[in-house]
Amino acid sequence: MKMERNRSSFWHQQQKIAPYLFIAPFYILFIVFMGYPLISSLILSFYEMRGFQSRIFVGFANFTDLFRDPIFWKSLWNTTYFALGTLVLQLPIALLLAILLNAKFVKGKNFLRLAFFAPVLVAGVFVAIIFNLIFDQRAGLINNEFILFGKEIGWLSEGKYVMPAVILTGVWQWAGFNMIYFLAGLQGIRQELYEAAAVDGANWWQSFVHITLPSLRPVIAFVVVVSMIGSFQLFDLPYILTNGGEPADAGSTIVMYLYKNGFQFMRLGYAATIGWVLFIIIAIISIAQLKLLGIFREE
Amino acid sequence: MRIPYDVESFPLGKGPMVMLVLFLISCLFIFAPAEEKGENVEFWIFANTHYEEYQARVPIFEALHPEVNVQLINYGGTMHDKLLTALLSDFGAPDVVEVEITSIGRFLKGDIDEVGFVDLRPRLESEGWMEKLVVSRFTPWSYKGKIFGIPHDLHPVVLLYRDDLFKAAGVEMTEIETWNDFIAAGKKASRDLDGDGKIDQYAIVLDRRTESDYFNLLLQRGGGFFDADGNVVIDSEIAIETLEFLTSLFNQHKIATPVYGTWHGDPSNFAAMQDGKILSVLAPDWYVGILKSQVPQMAGKWKAIGMPAWEVEGRRTTTRGGTMIGITKQCKNPDLAWDLLKFAYFDKAGLINRYETTRIIPPLKDAWDAPIYKEPDAYLGGQPLGELFIELAPDLPPRYQNPYWSEAADLLNDAIFNAVTEKQTPREALTELAEKVRALIAKDQERWGEGIIDENGTE
Repeated sequence: MKMERNRSSFWHQQQKIAPYLFIAPFYILFIVFMGYPLISSLILSFYEMRGFQSRIFVGFANFTDLFRDPIFWKSLWNTTYFALGTLVLQLPIALLLAILLNAKFVKGKNFLRLAFFAPVLVAGVFVAIIFNLIFDQRAGLINNEFILFGKEIGWLSEGKYVMPAVILTGVWQWAGFNMIYFLAGLQGIRQELYEAAAVDGANWWQSFVHITLPSLRPVIAFVVVVSMIGSFQLFDLPYILTNGGEPADAGSTIVMYLYKNGFQFMRLGYAATIGWVLFIIIAIISIAQLKLLGIFREE
Repeated sequence: MRIPYDVESFPLGKGPMVMLVLFLISCLFIFAPAEEKGENVEFWIFANTHYEEYQARVPIFEALHPEVNVQLINYGGTMHDKLLTALLSDFGAPDVVEVEITSIGRFLKGDIDEVGFVDLRPRLESEGWMEKLVVSRFTPWSYKGKIFGIPHDLHPVVLLYRDDLFKAAGVEMTEIETWNDFIAAGKKASRDLDGDGKIDQYAIVLDRRTESDYFNLLLQRGGGFFDADGNVVIDSEIAIETLEFLTSLFNQHKIATPVYGTWHGDPSNFAAMQDGKILSVLAPDWYVGILKSQVPQMAGKWKAIGMPAWEVEGRRTTTRGGTMIGITKQCKNPDLAWDLLKFAYFDKAGLINRYETTRIIPPLKDAWDAPIYKEPDAYLGGQPLGELFIELAPDLPPRYQNPYWSEAADLLNDAIFNAVTEKQTPREALTELAEKVRALIAKDQERWGEGIIDENGTE
């Protein structure tokens, strides 16, 4: 009798515990590789390293220093500039490509889709090296083949052209990738909607504005949010393209500045602070975008 | 063959079973005891050319030490970050490591006794190596009286020039002695080739985006960013005058062109050289090695002289770049590591092999007698380049190391660019820079409660 009760309580317990055991691997990995570093970096942002062995508590000094640091502000502006470039240049181009490659009259769609998607398969470092040659002021392809605005542009040597060069490179590399999301979204729109609109006498533009865009809203929200997060994490492309942010920090981004502080200057506390400020910026922007695009709205 | 087990009966089917089997096999590899072959020495490298050299040399070392197994690991550009992480976490650092000159600063931060490298001064002094090496080359690897690495190289800098094109402009470059002579010659040779009113053939190519060429000139004059005691001296008159001089070569004399691309080794820069748009360049020994391998078609077009001096009879060279070899404090057998260091850096046969492949002159003075350094160099139209480097080597300026070098260099790059593009005067740019770096150091010292370092290098 006693044994039976024990056994049934074991079964009972086991049934309760089993689900937790099944999800345990994820949580153990998450705690070790994400949770612990996250908390540890938050603590670190209130300290500064003194060489390799010791650290000193500095309170909010890293945060107040950061807000007075002109290179941080420059990097934040450059990163925001890139994000805006992505928003107003790259994503519309991606959408346009998707619409063209979804249209009935275009031939060789599969080949073109692959061709536009292919750049994303090239590692960022190689893209940067290739575009370094393309943007070269005197020997580069762009200045030699297209004399824009009647003068030779110092793409990578004059401060104001550096981020535009990075944005253009970003368009080449990522527009095709985002195109795939839009394409998937377009193919999910029911054809009957267009037919009904056509019967009602809607022209192409009207059906685009009233059918295509609203139907794509969840896809657009996803692509915009993911692209913005990616933009704010920009690092390898400008790091190689501008040789570490030169000239005069014109190509510096937040993550590049974080890397420099952490690994080149051995200011791990300051680097952790930059990381957390970046996290807060990304969180605010993402939530704002989702709200604006109405993703939290109940249908 | 039939598997004597019905795979379908495995819980959840075939896929998870395959994964489980792969997982178990991986565990077998991970937890299997490593093959024991005496003692292991781990040696990290960041430069491909060095890696190739040591790959050929390590078997010879292992033959001399049959109980030893040298693990040579080339991490390329990310090696310094990996080393930093390993030293921070007190785990996983190699026994022996090569470190690059602009990267060593960050490893010297904090208390001098907590630096992750073994002080090699006692060994160097007791074995008499100090006298055998060019002593100014220890300065990049020394701090507060300790020596954390042996220099791999000297990296003396020469002026590499297009003899044919200077001669065509009526200039005999071997007669150049000072920078004033060079400016006069440069004005003759910098020309508009296609008649569009713009100069397209420049006497010299100089970097205005980074500290490289400015620092070449500054060190040549005996200046620097920090002095031997760690003080910031980048706003000294000598530093300001040197930046004014660099700026004048671009803007006033119009004999210098900025580097094509991002640095002197950029393919577009090599293209401009081949097009005859660049007539000279300040070239360390390793840069000649790069030119030989990247633009072999220019063989015979270059010649070399010592850098023009700042005054008659002045110093004709400077130094650019460098590598050290050191022993980390995580090394369990420093005596064995020391033997490896000496084998890699002081063995004459190895040094000759190094010159053949990279054109790098060793800091070991005894090795300079080798006939290879006197051999005519076909790339320079038969000029014995090694002889010129060795002639200049004893006059190499010191380059003092400092924990704040990385931050300082990053800000110095900006100051140079702002001065050359006339956004700031050289004096404004360098005064502002010096204030920033002093404030940075003062703040850390205040936090750490450290005093100013006195002349003996003690706190």
